[in-house]
Amino acid sequence: MEVTILVQAADESFRILEESRNRARQVLDTAARLTSEAQILQRKRVEAIFKGAKQTKAEVIRFISTFILLLGFWLLLSGHYDLFHISIGVLCCGLVSHTSHALLFANPRAGDMRVIVKRFIVYVPWLMYQIIMSNLHVARLALWPKRLIDPKIIEFKSKLESDISMVTLANSITLTPGTITVDVKDGVFYVHAVSKKVAEDLMTGEMEDRVAHIFMEADHVYVQDILDMAPIFVELK
Amino acid sequence: MIIKRTVDMTRQSDDVIVKTLSRLLIPFIQIYALYVIAHGHYSPGGGFQGGVILGASLILLVITYGLDNALRRMTERLNTILCSLGVFIYAGIGLLCVILGGNYLDYKELDQILHVGIAQARSLGILGVEVGVGIAVMAVMVSIFLDISTGGLPSKRKET
Repeated sequence: MEVTILVQAADESFRILEESRNRARQVLDTAARLTSEAQILQRKRVEAIFKGAKQTKAEVIRFISTFILLLGFWLLLSGHYDLFHISIGVLCCGLVSHTSHALLFANPRAGDMRVIVKRFIVYVPWLMYQIIMSNLHVARLALWPKRLIDPKIIEFKSKLESDISMVTLANSITLTPGTITVDVKDGVFYVHAVSKKVAEDLMTGEMEDRVAHIFMEADHVYVQDILDMAPIFVELK
Repeated sequence: MIIKRTVDMTRQSDDVIVKTLSRLLIPFIQIYALYVIAHGHYSPGGGFQGGVILGASLILLVITYGLDNALRRMTERLNTILCSLGVFIYAGIGLLCVILGGNYLDYKELDQILHVGIAQARSLGILGVEVGVGIAVMAVMVSIFLDISTGGLPSKRKET
């Protein structure tokens, strides 16, 4: 009799112990979950603030660079450098850059603008040389038209990605005598070439490579990518 | 029988060259237009020419980026307000001269309130009138183009 009571009491105490342990575990779990949720929330909030600040910063930079460009254009046009005319200019430039700063720098990868400008300036003399050479070729075609003229439309898929580089390539092709860009659709160029030599020159793809080099595309590493990777390397260290 | 016509507000040019170049050129066209307006009293040009160039830049925006995109920058309500504001500035400066005791648009009377000398007052008066004309011409150009391109229909956003 006493033994059974003893056993029952032991059982009861075990049960209570188990229950309290379970409850404690539950409480601990909830606490841990709440903390982690709070942490995630906090991190998200910080990220959102950071992202917003980044966007605002990018917008301000775009506004300022548009403003400076337009003011330079204004000063170039206007011959009057007194306070009155320059203040009108500042007002007008502010107005225009407010309404259309999203237009001029719509390219998201505008961080490496200086490199692009530098490479573009190097590209222009080469383009001039090409224009002169193909001018001579077209003059020869015009003087001895019989054998050489072989007009056709060639079609090639370009490796360029952004709109601005495609436009640069298309306009370079059109500027070069003998070739005209008829259309650009989804990265495919349709080019009218007047003779076989011109078409072969184009198909070597040297111009495309140079344009890709200007805008750091295709086989080049983006500067922004390296900047994005830098913190990961620091953490790995 | 009622023929239902709808205006495709989001129709854009599908040519990457046209879109990119107009994106790059529109700010410079607008600055050029404002330059023509602001230097109208020194060099050829003036309110009408500058206003037409400014209107043309907005029309280029409509052609390349679609009505929807352009109406976000320049709503028809704002356009109507600008249209009247331009005429108001022009007529207001003219009538101000009458009130101050001269003829209509006789700028030398503006010297009484500006105190800058008669020649300077004439110059500033001409500039003010030109700004008015420019705003009015720009707004009218854009409003004519919007009326043509929407076929006279009220251009509400399409409910999708």
